[in-house]
Amino acid sequence: MTRGAGALVVDVEQRHPMAVIGAFNCEAGKLLALVGPSGAGKTSMLRILAGLMQPERGRVSVGGETWFDSATGTFLPPQRRHVGLVFQNYALMPHLTATDNVALSLLHLPRSERLSKAKHWLDHVRLTTSQQARRPVALSGGEQQRVAVARALAREPKLLLLDEPFSAVDQMNRQGLYQLLADLRRELAIPIVLVTHDMNEASLLADWLVVMDAGQVLQQGPPAAIHRAPRNARVADLVGIQNRFNGVWDGPSQEAGFGLLRWTVAVDDAAIVRTIVVRDKGRIDPGQKVTWVINGDGITLLDCPAQNDDEFAAVVTEARHLGEVTLATLALAEHPEVQLHLTLTGPQRAQFTVAASVVVRLDLSLAHVMPLRNR
Amino acid sequence: MDWQALALSVKLASVTLLCLLPLGLWLGRWLSRTEFAGKAWVEAIIVLPLVLPPTVLGYYLLVSLGGASPMGRWAAEALGVRLTFNFTGLLLASIIFNVPFIVQPIQRAFEAIPRNLAEAAAVSGLSSWQTFWRVELPLAWPGVLSAMVLTFVHTLGEFGVVLMIGGSIPGETKTIAISIYDRVQAFDLASADRMALLLLVLSLGAVAASFFASSRTIVRR
Repeated sequence: MTRGAGALVVDVEQRHPMAVIGAFNCEAGKLLALVGPSGAGKTSMLRILAGLMQPERGRVSVGGETWFDSATGTFLPPQRRHVGLVFQNYALMPHLTATDNVALSLLHLPRSERLSKAKHWLDHVRLTTSQQARRPVALSGGEQQRVAVARALAREPKLLLLDEPFSAVDQMNRQGLYQLLADLRRELAIPIVLVTHDMNEASLLADWLVVMDAGQVLQQGPPAAIHRAPRNARVADLVGIQNRFNGVWDGPSQEAGFGLLRWTVAVDDAAIVRTIVVRDKGRIDPGQKVTWVINGDGITLLDCPAQNDDEFAAVVTEARHLGEVTLATLALAEHPEVQLHLTLTGPQRAQFTVAASVVVRLDLSLAHVMPLRNR
Repeated sequence: MDWQALALSVKLASVTLLCLLPLGLWLGRWLSRTEFAGKAWVEAIIVLPLVLPPTVLGYYLLVSLGGASPMGRWAAEALGVRLTFNFTGLLLASIIFNVPFIVQPIQRAFEAIPRNLAEAAAVSGLSSWQTFWRVELPLAWPGVLSAMVLTFVHTLGEFGVVLMIGGSIPGETKTIAISIYDRVQAFDLASADRMALLLLVLSLGAVAASFFASSRTIVRR
């Protein structure tokens, strides 16, 4: 990745009290999401970026300015970093009004200027004048969050950090906040790092995903790339890929660049669903047990009976109609243990009732095969 | 009414509070955010004056500060001051027996402040001093206020320790509590009555005022 002006460059390592190890970059104007289960070290990583925690080794720089470098003993405290941090529970000062909360990060200015700037930022996040005069307790979760965002922006940060910013906000306010975040990205032109455990949210908002687990970065890349080709089963788990299957790698097929995958019912159940032809990157030894995944986009419904090797008869086992989408689970007709998950929109949803028979085609060019690690 | 004793008591309480407040703020805040081996012992020592009979506390202070003690000798030789049976000794004793009254409420008040507020302040560019003045102290204020009132009122009414270390020297160590005792012994119940009532009203008023003030602070949040 080339590093433009203002980019965040991180490469840190900490072993105690909890492991936080990772290296990633984020360009100005881009949004990077740190994702992973709770306890994965996401928030610790964010605290390292903010200067609230000093790792044992490594480097953090923003726009070429070194904030931390263990080699030279450099460590800028949070006060000197010009970083905007929106805390998970906002951490607003309960004794101050919204305006005074924002003005608090402008203490270097004369008082009158502080208040007018605070008002400017609160207007910017669309808080009304009467809301601006209230204390946090008299504001809703979404409004408090806007105050926290305004406070972070008032610092004129070179890096914006958001810790689970949407977790305490209901669905309706969430849409508004997504919009706010999209607007901010356009205007700010600084790197934004978002911590979340919600994969959908991360994929929706981020340009770059960094998947963390047990304090380590497992994989990083554009959301679509990670969904299409998770590095291993754990990543597939963490990013919530539902269509995950088992198999045994049978080696190259006759066609160059393709290989044979024996699709088995389960890891320990050798019963074969079918042998299918998928892309071969030459990384897996024949006979190796594998996990393979297929993106939801790779599963389509057909109107005709199953004929080809990539077409399967299935039965609907569950159909949940949520607003404008339907989440469906199918079981293969011949191997009901094998389940497929589909998200449907549009008129095809109508036929989805439990026990209905359907035919699906798997676009095997979208299948991604990973060796099963021995644990 | 022994106005001299009352004035002395008010002076003692004020000076005690003035000396203890910075210590209480520092110690209470430090204890609220620090964990270390032996913290329980430190906290136990701080609370000790609360549970010890005042005469026991007074006795040990008398022994350790008296002219024959190393501390007393050092004070007399190096500083030229006596530490017993005068106002200085009384003040010293008063500071010691009030430590739990000032530290405990302040510690609890600082403990109740969410830890991430100080972090949010640091990220907002506030120095630790600015964080203390603009965030922590306002939030801990009800606790600090009640610590101040408790210390003041408690000093006003302390009897046992004062008698042990200060005796009953008019204008020097004879506080209002001693004076009441003195009047009762002299069968001057009318004077004792007035002074006791004054102390009662003063104490009740101060405590009620501090409760009122802190409940208002909480509502305003």
